[in-house]
Amino acid sequence: MPALTLAHVSKQFGHDTNQVTVLKDVNFEAEAGQVSLVIGPSGSGKSTFLTIAGGIQTPTAGEVHVQDQSLQQLAGKARDALRLNKIGFILQAYNLIPYLSVQDQFTLVDRVKPHGNLTAEQLANLLDQLGIANLMKQYPGELSGGQTQRVAIARALYQNPDIILADEPTAALDSDRVKVVGQLLHDLAKQHNKAIVVVTHDLRLQEFADKTYAIMDGRMTLA
Amino acid sequence: MFLALKEIRHEKLRYGLIVGMVVLVSYLVFVLSGLAYGLAQQNTQAIATWDAQKIAVTSDANDSLAQSLMTKQTANKVTLTSHEAYIGQAGVVAKAKGQPKLSAQFLGINRDQFIYRKLAVTSGHKPTTARQILVDDSFKTNGYHLGDQVSLGATGGKFKIVGFTHNAKLSVAPVIYGTLRTWRTLSHVTSDFKAGGIVSNRSNFKPKTSDLKTLTMSQFINKLPGYSAQNTTFTFMIAFLMVIAMVVIAVFLYILTMQKLPNYAVLRAQGIPAKVLVTTTISQALILVVGGLVIGAALTVATVLVLPAGLPMSFNVPLLAGVTGGILLTGVLGALIPVRIILHVDPVSVIGG
Repeated sequence: MPALTLAHVSKQFGHDTNQVTVLKDVNFEAEAGQVSLVIGPSGSGKSTFLTIAGGIQTPTAGEVHVQDQSLQQLAGKARDALRLNKIGFILQAYNLIPYLSVQDQFTLVDRVKPHGNLTAEQLANLLDQLGIANLMKQYPGELSGGQTQRVAIARALYQNPDIILADEPTAALDSDRVKVVGQLLHDLAKQHNKAIVVVTHDLRLQEFADKTYAIMDGRMTLA
Repeated sequence: MFLALKEIRHEKLRYGLIVGMVVLVSYLVFVLSGLAYGLAQQNTQAIATWDAQKIAVTSDANDSLAQSLMTKQTANKVTLTSHEAYIGQAGVVAKAKGQPKLSAQFLGINRDQFIYRKLAVTSGHKPTTARQILVDDSFKTNGYHLGDQVSLGATGGKFKIVGFTHNAKLSVAPVIYGTLRTWRTLSHVTSDFKAGGIVSNRSNFKPKTSDLKTLTMSQFINKLPGYSAQNTTFTFMIAFLMVIAMVVIAVFLYILTMQKLPNYAVLRAQGIPAKVLVTTTISQALILVVGGLVIGAALTVATVLVLPAGLPMSFNVPLLAGVTGGILLTGVLGALIPVRIILHVDPVSVIGG
């Protein structure tokens, strides 16, 4: 069973003459242990796709399933709980809370979700793998762009979700760093059996993807 | 609470400024409450020591003991028990050789009635003759001593201070206890007048004569010159300060919340329940307000310690609890204003592109 399924999903904003269709009959599947790339230019509908896939917005038509759970059947709190337990977000901006140290970013997750997170040993291994084990006492404002991105990835993985949704994870990174992040996402999918969905306009990530979708003017096609 | 404390610790200057505002407001409210209560007490301290329930003054005295002159004829219409006492009030200026002049309230009483018996002496003894007086402790703080010969105006000669008593103030002036005969002299009335009025410690005391009007002590106190106006003024000042406190806290929290919305949106996107964010905001407000109140209270205590002894400032637990609870409540109400924004924060806003 796919970890994440979008079937015939459409999304419209506005009414009558102001109506805009952002997603048109989108079909998408993400499997555990794979990196699925959604590539498209600005304004193509990538972000709307991501918010609908993550249960933050509801589609105008179509179905979204996380494993066997239909998101449309969940009320607000249940959807929050599903996001907390099954979906990890890696966002391109404001990803980390500025007044929490790296350690506290994980402690916050423990506070709101006491069970099912990575163990201390698993976290230590992950931090080593990401090369950020020495940054636990630092605040986000004291980190470089690359370090922030890796802490954000660790933060998303800490709650041990089955699905990771990444929004432009390589924005503002140089080519060397893009390769590092791409390889990291690929390794995480394989080693931790996560379904990783990356929306980006960065074609350099294609070599790390198992599946690539192209999105243009709201229509998605498997590349 | 976790997020609230972490943010306060990280943003010390920002939150320090808010605590500073709460400190200033609470300090001002505490000091004003202390002054209001102190002044109210100095209006009524002497009355409180009598433990009286009712007072009867002449019908034409406009509820004022100082204006009440009760003739012997009227007095004879009222049968007094051991629960009643005659009393007469006169405003005087006390002066002893080498001591400053003091404006005071002379109260003439009878030695064989309950007010005299209730008087508590801090040093010396109660007066036993017409030429002896018992005065409030503030005379002592102004340099007067036991044995000083005091004149109480142009007439009446000298009176000897034979004792001091504590908490004897009326209409914010120190009280001098003496005899009704002295009161008559100071009031320039003849022996046809028995006293100013009658005080009773019975709640059912009611003379059956239209010459006298009976008041409860709280009615009598509210009619003391300036008492109600002064209390109303202080009450309004304190109430306005509390409203200002609420507006200040609400504005600060609103601005801070607006600045934090991107962070809250991230947390909401990650599935952190809105309840956690609302609890954070309210607990943050409580921490800031409680912190401000504690520092404000400490500053008030420090102020009381350095203020001159004569300043009418006094505190009591119910009043302080009420004021503290009021500021706390206004702080929480202020914190509730941005809650609606937090509940509607849109996680979509942090997913761009």
